[in-house]
Amino acid sequence: MSQRQLAYVFDLNKCIGCHTCTMACKQLWTNRDGREYMYWNNVETRPGKGYPKNWEQKGGGFKGGALQTDGKIPPKEDYGGVWEYNLEEVLLQGKGNQVVPHEKPTWGVNWDEDEGKGEFPNDHYFYLPRICNHCSNPACLAACPRKAIYKRPEDGLVVLDQERCKGYRYCVKACPYGKVYFNLQTQKSEKCIGCYPRVEKGVPPACVAQCVGKIRFVGYRDDKDGPIHKLVEQWKVALPLHAEYGTEPNVFYVPPMNTTPLVFEEDGRLGDKPRIPLADLEALFGPGTKQALETLGREMQKRREAKPSELTEILIGYTNKDRYRL
Amino acid sequence: MNPSNLMKQLVALAILTSTAATVGLAATAVQAAPATKTIRVLSVAGVDAASPDAAIWKKAPAAQVALQPAFPGHGSIVGTPVAERLTAQVVRAGDRLFVKLAWNDRTANTAIKDTGQFVDGAAVQFPVNGKASTTPFMGDPVNAVNVWHWLANGHTENLVAKGFGTSTLVPFEGLKSTGVRTDSGWAVVLSRSLKVKSDEGASLQGKSTMPIAFAVWDGENQERDGLKAVTLEWWQLKF
Repeated sequence: MSQRQLAYVFDLNKCIGCHTCTMACKQLWTNRDGREYMYWNNVETRPGKGYPKNWEQKGGGFKGGALQTDGKIPPKEDYGGVWEYNLEEVLLQGKGNQVVPHEKPTWGVNWDEDEGKGEFPNDHYFYLPRICNHCSNPACLAACPRKAIYKRPEDGLVVLDQERCKGYRYCVKACPYGKVYFNLQTQKSEKCIGCYPRVEKGVPPACVAQCVGKIRFVGYRDDKDGPIHKLVEQWKVALPLHAEYGTEPNVFYVPPMNTTPLVFEEDGRLGDKPRIPLADLEALFGPGTKQALETLGREMQKRREAKPSELTEILIGYTNKDRYRL
Repeated sequence: MNPSNLMKQLVALAILTSTAATVGLAATAVQAAPATKTIRVLSVAGVDAASPDAAIWKKAPAAQVALQPAFPGHGSIVGTPVAERLTAQVVRAGDRLFVKLAWNDRTANTAIKDTGQFVDGAAVQFPVNGKASTTPFMGDPVNAVNVWHWLANGHTENLVAKGFGTSTLVPFEGLKSTGVRTDSGWAVVLSRSLKVKSDEGASLQGKSTMPIAFAVWDGENQERDGLKAVTLEWWQLKF
């Protein structure tokens, strides 16, 4: 049992889908040695199929407390290819006149980006950045017969011991979020390590530190003065993704405001229906979504009326010290 | 939970419990009386038996070994292994023991090129203490087992285990294997010197009998780890 639990809040109203988090992670951890196809951090467009493709249908997790064994191991094509462009040939050597990938791409980490759902001008989409949830009840850990996966007692980060792993991939099957990967080069499984070497030095994980929109908050669950506790427990505006999977995730999301921008009626006037159906958001973030959105709407309105709002102050997160408590 | 699901779970539990009881009884029976399942070892001098096609295998006695699904040591291990039997032959040539295994396997799974692929495999297991009282289910913390593991990707692993989920690679260069495709599946020869240091595995030096167990994995069926077809009790090698 972990003594402390590190947790994250991602404010989806601030995510601009720039993938800088993804690139920070990739540069640091996954651009080599069989990890090229892996994105420990990815940003997917919602509604959409995500990465790996259709991960919400892959199975795994727990039902009624019981580990589900019907999970799938996504095939490589569901993660997408690792293609390179002939940039040097075309741009530097003057050979050919078209920059093309070396293989025909069929899927990728942001393949259905910005497609979303609905008809213009009433269509909608939002970005969902995803990392390992460093769950309090990790299905990957429960699934490993070799005890190769463990939670670090000092911060609750879920890590996979490369010495003990034998590449059986029960963890890949069991993680309902599709966040454990199989390295075909080493024949072992790998996952996000929460940048623990940085965390140990009081530095936030790379995906958090590099976030352009400053949407990411990181700290410990038991730190009552920190943004995690305030947003998750006190204001209840940050919600777990697919809590019904039973893994008790420690990444929490501030759901996107679904009523703005306003929708257009047939005659061009502004309507009052939500742009994103509430049910779609509840399917992701659970029954607390409605109340969270109401709280957010109420506090944002205060701001528009030039009244003080503690919640919006927290969500703005002016400085690193406001957003990171390590 | 609806009643029919509950019923299914209870039935499954009952089956598991009875399997465990049978397994326990089987182990006790082996302990109490010498195993009746024996394989006569052909002892020869100066013959190379490393290839499954070597002439000596035409002379070595062959045992038909029935395989059952292994007792699942962990909740993640689900499914039914494909292999139902194998043919085992054993030759002692000079200071080496050669074990030949042959079994049916329609598809050769020899490499992991995609995330959901697994390779075919086979293994023999010996109790490190040489005694049939050691549990054949990967040993226990006091009584270790030594596993010679052939993998269709060309690797051979010398493993020592002290219970479920504990198999540990003990690098030992003297363990060799050769696998070939046959008309119906695989034929594999595993071999090792009779004598090893105590931390390298089970010594076979100077034995008149030695317990041995077998396992087969079909990669096509995503078999790995405890999802395997095995002998649920020790066979005895007779030298």
